[in-house]
Amino acid sequence: MKLLVTGATGFLGRHVVVEALRRGHHVRAMVRPDTSEDALPWRPTAGLTFVRADLRSPRGLREAVRGVDAVLHLAAAKTGDFYTQFRGTVNATENLLNAMAVESNRRLVQVSSFSVYDNEKLRCGSTLTEDSQLIDIYADRDAYAITKLLQDQLAREFAEEHGGLVTILRPGVIYGRGNSWTARLGVQWGHRWIRIGANAPLPLIYVEHCAEAVVLAAEKPASIGQTINLVDDDQPTQRRYMRALAAHAPERPTIIPINWSCMRLLARLAILTNILLFAGRARLPGILIPARLHARCKPLRYDNQRMKSLLAIQPRYDLQTALARCFTTPESVVTPLADGHTVDKEVQDACASPI
Amino acid sequence: MSATLTTAVIGTGAISQEHLDFLSRERVSHIVGVCDLSRASARYAASRFPDARAFTNHHEMLDTLRPDVVHVLTPPQTHAAICRDCLEAGAHVFVEKPVALTYEDFQKLWTTAERYDRRLIEDHNYRFNTPVQTLEQLVAEGQLGEIREVEVRMALALHRGNRYNDPHLPHPSHQLPAGVIHEFLPHLAYLALRFLPRVDRVVAAWRNESGNPAFQYDDLDALVFSSNIHARLRFSCHTQPDCFTVTLRGTEGWAQADLFHPCVQTSWTCKAGPFSPLLNQMLGGAVLLSAGVANLRRKILQETPYEGMHRLLRMTYECLHRGEEPPITFDDMDRTSRLIDSLLDEANRL
Repeated sequence: MKLLVTGATGFLGRHVVVEALRRGHHVRAMVRPDTSEDALPWRPTAGLTFVRADLRSPRGLREAVRGVDAVLHLAAAKTGDFYTQFRGTVNATENLLNAMAVESNRRLVQVSSFSVYDNEKLRCGSTLTEDSQLIDIYADRDAYAITKLLQDQLAREFAEEHGGLVTILRPGVIYGRGNSWTARLGVQWGHRWIRIGANAPLPLIYVEHCAEAVVLAAEKPASIGQTINLVDDDQPTQRRYMRALAAHAPERPTIIPINWSCMRLLARLAILTNILLFAGRARLPGILIPARLHARCKPLRYDNQRMKSLLAIQPRYDLQTALARCFTTPESVVTPLADGHTVDKEVQDACASPI
Repeated sequence: MSATLTTAVIGTGAISQEHLDFLSRERVSHIVGVCDLSRASARYAASRFPDARAFTNHHEMLDTLRPDVVHVLTPPQTHAAICRDCLEAGAHVFVEKPVALTYEDFQKLWTTAERYDRRLIEDHNYRFNTPVQTLEQLVAEGQLGEIREVEVRMALALHRGNRYNDPHLPHPSHQLPAGVIHEFLPHLAYLALRFLPRVDRVVAAWRNESGNPAFQYDDLDALVFSSNIHARLRFSCHTQPDCFTVTLRGTEGWAQADLFHPCVQTSWTCKAGPFSPLLNQMLGGAVLLSAGVANLRRKILQETPYEGMHRLLRMTYECLHRGEEPPITFDDMDRTSRLIDSLLDEANRL
């Protein structure tokens, strides 16, 4: 297949490019116009081409999507104020889908997020699935969650209005080299790690597994029209995962545990104080806003049956092995093949070292 | 105030948040439409108002809704054309600064507004911030004596990773006649003009100190002479921290208004004789301490430096309801536009 990957130079994107090449696809990686070639995470290789475009502008997007079999849409803005994230996620997706509609390109695999689920509505200990309730666009959530929700709405409209063949993937917490901490553990404050809760399972997915799922979603017709949560089988508790991270930390951190129920009470008190003293107008840290606290640290269970049945994916690494890969120097990582295919040495060279 | 006017908004960029917040909170009019080239943006903004419809074409919106008032919040390059369309469609226009890119374009717009008997109002929001109003009061009461010097100073680190320095997608303001500074120039001009009876002569040094090719200029130092008063307009991308101040120096004392961290500092000659400097310093310390506490509260309560815009909008709607002249008059816009043209004329002289 010919695949266009947006957000190709991002944390997940660079792995998706590698995985797609490894599976024998032709990849058109979208990089921003001013990105230096030296900064690209891949060396030139057969099957890999680049297209320079910025999704926040429609310019060049028709050419970018023209002739590809599927668009793997990973690009999103994760930082900045609401309008920056709106532009980088919502307007970017709108521009991309407009270009796809004009070019009659209908196959879209969109990477969404667990942040669109309304955890506050779920009972502690219940299972979050693809059918769980979503947040409202005016929910008291951060800009990332709201803009990802709007992005999902655009994808669904694309399916309805243009006959788009859409798969929405919702990864849990994607971890990998340089990105192993998650806000679902609590707060990092220098060498003090404040852990909120202890026994909540973490919806982790190792970045290589996630990349494989994204490419498989493009390959498998069964995924069309589906929303699929992506989580690994191994879902460690907060306590276990934090211990594992601490073991790899260059300096042993001080872990300060806070009980989930205490934290929930603290957030309620903060909201009450805000209402009583500041008419609800005061800016509180996210961790003291109940909707955001629940989104991060509520003890829930996570189901990956749909991922397994529709994508037929078997995660390659258990947690220990995946974490070992996160903290090993890139040169010493030997990337095994997903399905026994022979990988062109040039592809292997292009992919293995920089990631 | 009864909600008899209908309002539409064109453009849903960052500044629209302040306009939409005002319109949703104050209920001075009935929001009927929001327009943006992006359907998603228009729809999201419109969803805040129960009866607002989203449009991607402003002609279609004007034809369909016939709003009484339109807020034009699009990039400056588009103001003249969109404002003209709105005025011709019978709407009063509240437009973000600059109203037009040249004085000539402003004159044409004003002529159109008069022909259609509609109001054209440029957003001079900082004039209505409390610190500037305090300065005006001090001047009116003669507490500073005769004003001899005015300085309006703005420092913004636009070179540091923000939307004005995005190498991948250049900000539209870089295409303005004075580049990115043009976006901020009206603020400097209308604030200085509040204290200048007329403009006799203008000299300006426009520079690109960083050499960043995306920026036409990143530094402006201008002097505006007016009989026995002169004003300095200063914009810098390099001096830090970010600031926005208006300083007046008169024959009896000086006063400085800080617009980003609201506060007015003053110093007077007074009857304390040799103790005057000490008294001024002690009073100044008390003012700063009190402002620090007040601004901490503002920070916690998420208040922005746009309090003046809300005040201006409230006054504007009251005038529109009563059929009176709005608080920003033709003279205000005319002088601002002419001063900006004079400053731009100096652009290639260094």
